[in-house]
Amino acid sequence: MKTAVKTENLTKLYGKTKAVDCLSLEVKNGEFFGFLGPNGAGKTTTIRLLTGIIRPDKGKAMINENLPTNSIEAKLIAGVMPESQGLYEWMTAIEYLLFFAHLYGVHDPIKAAVEKLAIVGLSNEKNKRIGAFSRGMRQRISLARALINEPKILFLDEPTLGLDPKGQEDIQNLLKTLNTEGVTIFYSSHLLNEVAQLCSRIAVIHHGKLIAQGTITQLQEQTGLTNDSLKDIFLKLTGE
Amino acid sequence: MFKYILVTELQASLYTWKSTVWFLITSAIFSFTSYLFLTDKELSLLDQTEMLWLISKIIIGTALLIITVDASNTINAEFEKETAESLFLTPLTTKDFVLGKLLASLALWIAIYLISIPYIIVVSAGSHLTFAFVIYVLMLGTMIILGFQMMIFGISFLFRSSKNTLTTSLIILLALVIPATFSSTLKNNSLSHFLSVINPVDNVFSSLDNVLVDYKIAISSNLLYIIPVLIFCLAAFTFMLYSIKLFKRSGIVNKD
Amino acid sequence: MHKINSFIFFVLLLIVCFTSANSILADSSSFSLPPLNINILSKQTLNGIAGDYVTVSAEITNISQKTITNITTYLSMADEETKLPVDLEDWSAEKGLFIGTIDSKQKLPLDWKIHFVKPGKYSLIVIAEINGENQPLTSNITHFTVSPKHNLNPGQVLPVALGMPLFLLIIMMFATYIRRAKS
Repeated sequence: MKTAVKTENLTKLYGKTKAVDCLSLEVKNGEFFGFLGPNGAGKTTTIRLLTGIIRPDKGKAMINENLPTNSIEAKLIAGVMPESQGLYEWMTAIEYLLFFAHLYGVHDPIKAAVEKLAIVGLSNEKNKRIGAFSRGMRQRISLARALINEPKILFLDEPTLGLDPKGQEDIQNLLKTLNTEGVTIFYSSHLLNEVAQLCSRIAVIHHGKLIAQGTITQLQEQTGLTNDSLKDIFLKLTGE
Repeated sequence: MFKYILVTELQASLYTWKSTVWFLITSAIFSFTSYLFLTDKELSLLDQTEMLWLISKIIIGTALLIITVDASNTINAEFEKETAESLFLTPLTTKDFVLGKLLASLALWIAIYLISIPYIIVVSAGSHLTFAFVIYVLMLGTMIILGFQMMIFGISFLFRSSKNTLTTSLIILLALVIPATFSSTLKNNSLSHFLSVINPVDNVFSSLDNVLVDYKIAISSNLLYIIPVLIFCLAAFTFMLYSIKLFKRSGIVNKD
Repeated sequence: MHKINSFIFFVLLLIVCFTSANSILADSSSFSLPPLNINILSKQTLNGIAGDYVTVSAEITNISQKTITNITTYLSMADEETKLPVDLEDWSAEKGLFIGTIDSKQKLPLDWKIHFVKPGKYSLIVIAEINGENQPLTSNITHFTVSPKHNLNPGQVLPVALGMPLFLLIIMMFATYIRRAKS
């Protein structure tokens, strides 16, 4: 099976602080990969390294076997929903998606924008200004933007944060559908039950270091907590 | 790809009233000064050429101020509103990003220039200087505005803060504009003369004086003033490139 | 004898009178006419409107018996309403005219071009200073009036001054309307 994401000793320093410390992991094509860690563990920094937003100080990261993360080709096949909700408040939903569709060079931008609005359940709000959107609607439009270029790999950083249970369920179902269709999902969150429910394999990061990796069963064996929940495993691994 | 950035910026200016309010204020300034110059006040007794020169300085000075405010914000707003990350996740290159922003900011100057044309025509009526006025304000104004924009973009990439960029840019603007308004009697010593030669704003004003007051319309007669402005643009461009290089090295998000 | 005495007395009286007259005439500083006469010729043509450029024409005549050299002539003006002297530089009339030599009985023209910059009532004199003399010489005072210039719409500025902001406002409102109609 081809590798969708691969890192080798990936390191990022902010001053003397190692935000990411010698991170080596691999995500296969089609996996629903969970990336767990407490606040400040380095999850967002890792995603930024993997999506080419920041450069590593040491090590390397590749997308789709051999594409450097900051290459144009990597950006064309990756979709990213970052944690920061930077949206253009003055744009309407459809304008926002059209703008990004153009930036990605999507073949039929209008069709793509309308389609993605429908997928995230915002068809009725297409002419509404983003500035008037609720928190949940902002998450949805952000996800729609991440999907606008029909990505092969989807990086999600806290995608359901702030959503109500219905909203969370809708997003989760959508992601499951996408994964079934072959999209590799790199899912970063600190919501353990969500990760446990969705992800086939999980990596746990703490203080920038990878401290565990595998399926839930493998993690249970690693920690000796055979019958315990992911929460207990996480707490033991991170010592929180 | 830069055209999408350009179009989006222009739409933002139009739909958010940001630039349109500036245009309205600019037009009000031009209306007030042109009316004042032409009606029954002491100013109306100036020679027409002196009046044209003053008005050309007002047009360029107003544009410089507005562009300084706009350019200080246009790049930093993307970082401060956290929209830069989503932009650079796309295949958009830094070059296209900067080019789009630069052209959008330049479009602001072009709009101010177009607004000033009816005033230029009215004030220069009968002087046979209308065409020269229009052409030279466009040429010199575009050069100095472009230079300022590139300089401010360079500062933006270094500071990544609209407040700091605006403060620094305004100080630089004042430092260049104020000496340019001094009369020639205050520029008699060698230091003042040297500063006058390297000051791009001073050179723009002097060239306009040369054209409008002394009737020296030929480009060759104004090369002495145009060359320092071009050098300033080149220096600003180099500074902007250097800042972008530093920006790329530190990353689009330079803090976690 | 009486007749001879009267005749001698009469001759002595004549000598005294003649000598006194000579000495009085010699002391020109107390009782002699000024050597130069300055006359403003454009008394009737100076009135004008603010913004006008007018020429103050004057004539200087050497009415003395000898040639006079090194004379500097200049204008002086006062505002009759404020009772203050006028700064001639504002009126472009600050220059002095120098006369190297003026022969006896010779007349020379003097011209100053001035720019009427402020309406009001003014008085004007021409002053001549002879090099080496303590007392300057002046012309008679000439009074003139500068009328204000009234033009509410010179060069069709009003349509532009009012029309442009209005035009831009309409564009802004139209753009906002289109935007709201879309959303």
